[in-house]
Amino acid sequence: MLVFRKPLSGIARPQMEADVVIIGGGPAGMACALRLSQLIDAHNADNPGSQLNKENIYVLEKSREIGQHCLSGALLDPRSMRELVPGFEKEAPIDAQVSKESVYFLTKNSKLKFPITPPSLRDHGNYVISLNRFVKWMGSKVEEAGITVFTGFAGSELLFDGDRVVGVQTDDKGVDKQNQPKPNFEPGYELKAKVVVLAEGPRGSLTKQLVAGINLDSDRNPQTYGVGIKELWEVPGGRIEPGEVIYTMGWPLTSKEYGGAWIYGGKDNVASLGFVTGLDYPDPRLDPQRVLQEFKLHPFVAGLLQGGKMIRYGAKSLPYGGWWAIPPVAGDGWMILGDSAGFLNSARLKGIHLAIKSGMLAAETAFEALQKSDFSAATLSQFQTRVENSWIKDELWKVRNFHQGFEHGLWAGMFHAGLQQITGGRGLRNRYPSEPGHKHLKKLSELPPDGGDEAPLLGPYKGDGKLTFDKLTDLYHSGTRHEEDQPSHLVIHDTNICEQRCIKEFGSPCQNFCPANVYEMVDDSSAPNGKRISLNPSNCVHCKTCDIADPYQIITWVPPEGGGGPNYDGM
Amino acid sequence: MPDTILVVVEQREGKLNRVSWETLTAGQAIAAETGWTLEAAVVGGSVATLASEVATKKVAKVHAVESPRLEPYTPDAFVAALKQFLSSKKAKLVLMPHTYQVRDFVPKLATAMDRTVISDCIGYKKEGDKLVFTRQMFQGKLAADVSFACDVPWFVTFQSGAFRGDKVEAAAAVAPVETVKVEIAENVVRNKPHEVFKEAKQAVDLTQAEIIVSVGRGIKEQKNIELAKQLAEALGGELAASRPICDSGWLPMDRQIGSSGQTVAPKLYLALGISGAIQHIVGMKGARTIIAINKDAEAPIFEIADYAVVGNLFDIVPPLIEEVKKAKVGS
Repeated sequence: MLVFRKPLSGIARPQMEADVVIIGGGPAGMACALRLSQLIDAHNADNPGSQLNKENIYVLEKSREIGQHCLSGALLDPRSMRELVPGFEKEAPIDAQVSKESVYFLTKNSKLKFPITPPSLRDHGNYVISLNRFVKWMGSKVEEAGITVFTGFAGSELLFDGDRVVGVQTDDKGVDKQNQPKPNFEPGYELKAKVVVLAEGPRGSLTKQLVAGINLDSDRNPQTYGVGIKELWEVPGGRIEPGEVIYTMGWPLTSKEYGGAWIYGGKDNVASLGFVTGLDYPDPRLDPQRVLQEFKLHPFVAGLLQGGKMIRYGAKSLPYGGWWAIPPVAGDGWMILGDSAGFLNSARLKGIHLAIKSGMLAAETAFEALQKSDFSAATLSQFQTRVENSWIKDELWKVRNFHQGFEHGLWAGMFHAGLQQITGGRGLRNRYPSEPGHKHLKKLSELPPDGGDEAPLLGPYKGDGKLTFDKLTDLYHSGTRHEEDQPSHLVIHDTNICEQRCIKEFGSPCQNFCPANVYEMVDDSSAPNGKRISLNPSNCVHCKTCDIADPYQIITWVPPEGGGGPNYDGM
Repeated sequence: MPDTILVVVEQREGKLNRVSWETLTAGQAIAAETGWTLEAAVVGGSVATLASEVATKKVAKVHAVESPRLEPYTPDAFVAALKQFLSSKKAKLVLMPHTYQVRDFVPKLATAMDRTVISDCIGYKKEGDKLVFTRQMFQGKLAADVSFACDVPWFVTFQSGAFRGDKVEAAAAVAPVETVKVEIAENVVRNKPHEVFKEAKQAVDLTQAEIIVSVGRGIKEQKNIELAKQLAEALGGELAASRPICDSGWLPMDRQIGSSGQTVAPKLYLALGISGAIQHIVGMKGARTIIAINKDAEAPIFEIADYAVVGNLFDIVPPLIEEVKKAKVGS
């Protein structure tokens, strides 16, 4: 019997007052904390008579250590970091400056190099980084500045007073599989905050509560997502230079799927490679982890990796929807940053610089609110204005229709992208519509039983254990660990749908889209179609793909007991 | 008359819990700073000996709070005894070690007296006239300073290790011991303690097993576990499993082998219907001899197996059990 996590009710919870609570210690949240500290320090130096206090500013981070759940390619556009910490290059962990870039269109056995690199993919001046190490460094700056980072604590519920957000409740610790308290039970805290800053990364669970709770997305395009599957490789010397950047399009995807690969050369012969598959593909049997394995079989990639060793694995979703999918980012008591809001440039495949910038602008707004002691929507909506007057909007406006152009396949996408390039992002109209990715899924009855062109992308993959891997082997390299005795944090609202409808209509795509083998349909003669859903929540790498891609939208990802999750050291 | 600090030391079955000395050290420190009088209390059926042991430390007086109903320990009797005692002994501050026993009764005691407890403190501070106690929040990330706003007596419990028990000051002269007989009516004690539970039953220690028969998903149904059990018994080995089996509750968690379970290195590891995902392999690859039975010839377990049997375990295991039994009889 599956029991799902929900906060225990009817118990007394310790309460704590805070000024600002930032939920999520990624690049956005850390930038927000750091900027806020800088502004307060400057204010206090200038105004000995009216001091502002930093002690009640907190960052909640669900991973055990700062940065452990941060996963990206990653290339950093340094623009916002130079504003936040001028000269950061001297102290921040940077693998290499981009030295060489190429873009290829792959077919099964060959590759076509783009004669010129498309402007959006020109990366000179950017840095190859490990986001994990970079955020760890940002976190150390935040802690040095005197702001407390609560690692191992997740935000599990927002606290409301009417429509006003008044705080956040942290996760209950020490709850067993049946949702009963264990001897080490510790109730979650009620952190009452004047400002709650949501910096949870893509598809934030509290952001989702807020957006749905007060209908923030009513006149927006639905957010659309991709899932990036990444492996870190040690390769023999000379295969890829530090700072070398390779993008590919095409194979193994067909023209019906959106996505592409990256390969970045880091230092010490470590290569970061990964494949982003748009979560708006038609065939529910497609497996994004398998897409990466197929990609590695291409002679071009296999040649690069041969004799090397896969050292780490991870997966994370990313928001593609662009400007029209960003909800209002501030309101009564709250602000939304970074990937949680959707500040990502899908044409450039970059969001870290925007996340950081959004964190800085939110910090300026929170600082103003602290000075005035006014945390109403009127004051906090200055964040919205700041975003619209900043280069965030300049950058995102030019690509506002980029991903929508690809919703009907690669060729249409190329056409629209070209047109948008010469019309300042407009293309055929100012706002291209969009629909949620899961609506693109087709039923099995509408698809060729053998998979057609997509056949090599479908279903589980065995792997040869050297170049390619099965999912569990990959997963092992994510270092994922959770307290085993806790309720499932993957909340399925109606498992009858899984066992009666989904299995027949879509063939249980959760087994395929989840890159961590959390979902399994296991034999059960008592189940209506001979299989029942079984969950392995402790495999979860917190990518949120299930919450996004499930065709019935009956899965809600909530944070497990704080401290659990992947360990993306060096990723 | 100065205010009184009362340290309630903990005894269980006639033995003082060593943490009591830590709390006494805390009491001595607070007394030195505030000028309040420090007294101690021992609660139990017959605690005169323990009380005189405490009396060798620097305290003004030791109370031996006694009633036959205080042995064995029950929360009801302890609350009744201390409530009665504290109604005559006007203490301002009542200190106790934050032990399981104190955790069990102190919330009830405080509630019964309409007071509050500051629990699990790691220190104290005197800020002007105010006594402030420090307790940890967010798993030690944050220290909160808390003070009392309610009437006395104030109840405080100290975390084990917060003070040095070996630093407790001895008395210049042995303190007087006063026996306090408390009356506890029979119907007050609703708890009926069982035998003291010494230690959790020794969990199976797979790491010590020389022979392990381990089952995986290939076993299909819970009832088939019996088959593996019979084989383990015949071989004189332990039964273990891969994660899906323990996840389904077919075997307890402490029999799980692998990255989220135990790591073992027996002389013989018999894997029945285990595919050999890396998460399992890391927990048993140190076994001296690995025999794997699996239907799937491509199963990764065969890569590390010394003996690979491709076949249906339900065809293979029953005759294997018979053969093992025969061999054992023969030897």
